[in-house]
This record gives sequence, C-alpha cells and structure tokens, in this order.
Amino acid sequence: KTSSSSALGPDGLNIAQSFFKPIHNTTPPPPTTRNTKISVVGVGNVGMAIAQTILTQSLADELALVDVNPDKLRGEMLDLQHAAAFLPRTKISASVDFSSTVGSDLVIVTAGARQIVGESRLNLLQRNVSLFRKVVPPLAAASPECVLMVVSNPVDVLTYVAWKLSGFPSNRVVGSGTNLDSSRFRFLIADHLDLNAQDVQAYIVGEHGDSSVALWSSISVGGVPILSFLERQQIAYEKQTLEKIHKEVVEGAYEVIRLKGYTSWAIGYSAASLARAILRDQRSIHPVSVLAKGFYGIDGGEPFLSLPAQLGRSGVLGVTNVHLTEEEANKLRESAKTILELQTQLGI
Amino acid sequence: MHKLSVSSLALGPNGLNIAQSFFKPIHGASPQPHTTRTTKISVIGVGNVGMAIAQTILTQDLADEIALVDVNHDKLRGEMLDLQHAAAFLPRTTISASVDYSSTVDSDLVIVTAGARQLPGESRLNLLQRNVSLFSKIIPPLSAGSPEAVMLIVSNPVDVLTYVAWKLSGLPANRVIGSGTNLDSSRFRFLIADHLDVNAHDVQAYIMGEHGDSSVALWSSISVGGVPILSFLDRQQIAYEKQTLERIHKEVVQGAYEVIGLKGYTSWAIGYSVANLARTILRDQRKVHPVSVLAKGFYGIDGGEVFLSLPTQLGRNGVMGVTSLHLTEEESQQLQKSAITILEVQSQLGI
Repeated sequence: KTSSSSALGPDGLNIAQSFFKPIHNTTPPPPTTRNTKISVVGVGNVGMAIAQTILTQSLADELALVDVNPDKLRGEMLDLQHAAAFLPRTKISASVDFSSTVGSDLVIVTAGARQIVGESRLNLLQRNVSLFRKVVPPLAAASPECVLMVVSNPVDVLTYVAWKLSGFPSNRVVGSGTNLDSSRFRFLIADHLDLNAQDVQAYIVGEHGDSSVALWSSISVGGVPILSFLERQQIAYEKQTLEKIHKEVVEGAYEVIRLKGYTSWAIGYSAASLARAILRDQRSIHPVSVLAKGFYGIDGGEPFLSLPAQLGRSGVLGVTNVHLTEEEANKLRESAKTILELQTQLGI
Repeated sequence: MHKLSVSSLALGPNGLNIAQSFFKPIHGASPQPHTTRTTKISVIGVGNVGMAIAQTILTQDLADEIALVDVNHDKLRGEMLDLQHAAAFLPRTTISASVDYSSTVDSDLVIVTAGARQLPGESRLNLLQRNVSLFSKIIPPLSAGSPEAVMLIVSNPVDVLTYVAWKLSGLPANRVIGSGTNLDSSRFRFLIADHLDVNAHDVQAYIMGEHGDSSVALWSSISVGGVPILSFLDRQQIAYEKQTLERIHKEVVQGAYEVIGLKGYTSWAIGYSVANLARTILRDQRKVHPVSVLAKGFYGIDGGEVFLSLPTQLGRNGVMGVTSLHLTEEESQQLQKSAITILEVQSQLGI
C-alpha cells in the first residue's frame, strides 16, 4: 500500500497497527466479492470531467486514472483524494502504465491527439490509431471482461479501431457517439417549450459529426409525436427550419470550443450517464456508437455509428427497432458510407 | 417568466414556434404567488475553481437556479452552454450568466471565487490590494441585488478577503463566511483516514486559524470513531514526538502547493468543499464546519475584527455559532498568533 503521508506510517506516527482490533473467527473476503471499478484513460479536461462526475455520483468503488504525464496525473489524483471528507469512500489510484486499471468493470478512453491547425482529418485519425495501438491492447489484457467505452474523436472510427485492437465481442465496445448531441437537441427543444428535457424523446443518430441524422419522425414530447402535432395544429414548417435546428445542435460543440477553448462538463455528464446505465444494468436506451452492420440496410463493411441502443451490464443488449422515414434511412446509410471510407484508409 | 437568453434561433418566433400551442392550461388557474421561491446560487468567477464549484453544485442537485458571473464574456457563455447541454442528464436547473450582476438578483447564496493571481515576485500585500480593488467593484452590487443572501468567499487570501467582503457588503457578520480551512481539514482527515484504512467521515479533526502557513492543527481534539487520538497514543504507550505531529500538519499545508505544482491549480477538492458548505447552509443542516468567521471574542482573540477559521455551526441563516472546543495552552497561543498575522495585513488595507 503506498502511503499518502510520509509522516503517518512506519517512519513517523504509526497508529494503524493497534487502532482496530478484529473480532474472533474472522476470514478474509472471498475472492468472488468484487468492487465496481472504473478506469479513465486520459486526464485532460474531458477525462477529468468524466472522472469527477462519476465520483460525485458515486458510481464506482474504485477509480483508476491513466495518463502519460506523471505530474499532471498525480496532481489530478491528489485533487480528487483531498475531497475524501465530502464523498463516500472511493479508492482513487493512478499510473502512467496500465497497472492501475487491472480488473476494471468499465474502461473509458478519452486519450487522443488534438487536431493541429491545417491538419487533415485522416492524418489526425492516423495519429490516434497509433496511440490506440499502444493503449487498447494492454487495457484489454488487464481487464478482459470489461466494457470498453471510447470517447476520443473521431469517436465512431476510433470505436471500431478499439474493437479490432481489443479482441472483445462487439457488445462490449461502445462509443459515446451522439449521446451528447441528442442531449443538446433535447435541451434546445425543451428550452423552447419551457419543459423538462427528460420529457423530450429525441435521437440524433449516425456519425458523431457533420453527417449526423436527426430523427424528426420519432421525436415526441410528453408522448406527443412532434411532426404529427404540427400537422394537427396546422402549423406550417419548412424542412429548412428543421435542418437549421439540427445544424444548431451540430454547431453546439464548436460554439463551446470557440468560447471556452474546449468542452468538458456536458461530455462528463453524458459519459457518466452511460456508465450508470451499464454498471447498474439499467437497460435504458441511449444513442451510442455501436457495430451498425445489418441495421437499416447498412451492409457494406463493419462501421460503428450511433443508433438507439439498449445498454446494460453486458454492454449493448440490442438496437431498438425505431421506424425511419425513407429519407432518414438514406441519410443514415450516407453517414455509414462516410465512416467506412475513413475506416478503409486505415488498414486495420 | 422572463428568459435571459435564447437558446435556439431556429426554434422560436423566427423559426419553428410550437411553444404557443403545445400545452393547454386548465380552467381557473392563477399565476405563481410571489412568495414561492426557488433556491438560487450565484457563482462569481468561472475559472477552474468557480466552475468546479458550479458543476458540483449542479451534479448534487443543490439549487434550482445557478447564475454565473465573469468579466470574460466568451468564456462565460461557453461555460454556461457547456452546463446547459447536459440538460438530458440532470434534474432541471435554470442556468444563467451575465457579465454584470443582473443574473445574480435574489440569490440565496453567493459564492465569490474571483480574484487576481499572484504575479512572479509580487508581494502578498500588493496582491491583496489588487484583490481589494476588485472586491470593491464586485461586492456592493452583489449584496444590493441579494440583500438577504449568505455570502461565501473562496478567493485567496480568504480570511482577509472575507473581512473585506463583510465590510463592503453591509451584510451582518453571520451571513459572510469564508471557505477557510474546510478543505485543509478534509486533507488532514484524508491523511489520517488513509493511514488507518478507515472512512474519512469517521475522522473528526479540525485545522483552524489562518487558511495558510499559520494554520493550527487541533491535535487535542482529533478523534477517530470516538477514540481521542492523543489519549489513545498515551494508553497504548506509543511514543511520538511533537515534530512528527508538526510534519503531518505541514503535509496538509503543503497539499495545496503540491497539487498546484503538479497540475497547475487546484479545483476538484475545493469544488466539493464549497458544495458541502452550500448544502449545509441551504438545507439548514446545522453541521459544524471549520470556516472563516468573525473571530472577535473567541479563544482570547480580542485585538480587532479578524476573520479566521473556527469550528462553526452553519445553517440557513449562515453562522449559528462557534463551538467551544478545549484548546491546549499551546494551541490557544498558536491561534492568537494566527489572528495577529491576519490583523497585521488587514490594518494595512485601510478599510
């Protein structure tokens, strides 16, 4: 056990040995008892927002942090540990290698290179694939039964890469995908209606990016399907207006990045929400990046993209059979093609 | 309800406007009485500390409304949006922001994290004078907009700045508090708990006095699961040196500097610490916390109006009272020295 204090312990004040007396006839804990353990790889703004939200929401008994920068890593670990008096007890550890991640139930990967000015998307992707080759295999080896969640961008392709490199079954590799885009979408609608966002059911699916698809035909608010509501009320609307709203969602992330330099809090809550659904076997539906082969006519290759998926303790339980209009299905297939094009250039 | 900001341009009068016909009111409805109140917290300063506090408060569902204030318009809007975008994952909380104090009106709790950072080679007094100038712009409009709020100061040096905020706000002393040694005490409890492999909640330990180098660790009142530590050591005949106790205390004081040295600043722990104080105050929990309060008249501190951390009972009206701990002669002297240190700096400010 590495001690947090040098002055409390064998070299200083050592009261641990006599403080608690065990009762008679005890046995050590059986090897089958397990704590819930989450590892977060990458302690940048996104990784730490995720780690801290998970800690505040008390989703794990153990939290492990990994990063290449040992000082930043230790600083972040201490900053969380110092809050011990304000939180339920959570063991927080950190390592620059993958030793601290062993036996995780959920591993969340946020590590990734940032786009250099003028860099092509493919080049960025190739740098991130190199990074994933170093990161994913040891993670999978250290926690062969975990669910692997990828947050790093471009998330759809990188989730595919992580799946290939981990050797895991596809139900245990999932990308954060459009979970956050959908939240932004729901927020915009809810704010307009002065309503709680949780009463807005709305999915954005497909690529987490410019070719994402807003499923207008399945948006419902308090059980009222929006498009048929508009028709019944004879409220005229133009397709362009719907596209403008969708565009505001896609722009949402870029706007925050432009204003504060990066996004962190919202993706933190998004990932923690997925973590809860998985670890507590909530069997709730979330738009996340999954192996989309075989759905909605997506048959060419093995693309990962966001579909409304039911999540539980074993990861992806299934994809919901939501009805898409012809146009929405076409757009989704377009999205899949965009992703596949990138994937094929990677040679994995 | 007056909305301060429009979230979507495409949803609304100029685009798709479904709001008007979506919900139908029932017969005989009357508007909301003005006596109904929602819980509102304002956070001044959206740097790492301010945002860690705001986000923890949001996650812990402590307020119905959160208002953010900062001088940097873009950063402010970015942070506001980043919190709003999480709407689907949280209970509904109204999040607003303004560069002036308009968004803070009618707050129940106002948390001030704004403050200049120390420039290389800058004297502590100079830094303090810059922060006093800043506070003379911030505090009066805050208290004018929320005359019944509890004001919680986090900016450093927190003890002197809490005094300054008290003077500038015109608020009664029970409603102006500094985050003080609440976090130092948590670090202290963490070190002891980690050594004993026990939950930190079972370690009762206070660090008092200045939030800084002259803070005082109250060893005579530390107890773990009801066992007072020093008498435990005597009973077990475990020898210890005073130096060892001082080393432990020093590790606590160094704790913040260590984190700053490693990651550049501290944020998460102070976020939890302040959210913890916010909960005790807003939910009238009547718990004892080591926070910076007007210490005049306690523990022999009589030389002036000094704010420093004492174990204080907090509730909906702020400071309910200070507990009467038994201090050893030495602890008492250290505390009075801490008070003198702070008073010396205060007197140079001319407030």
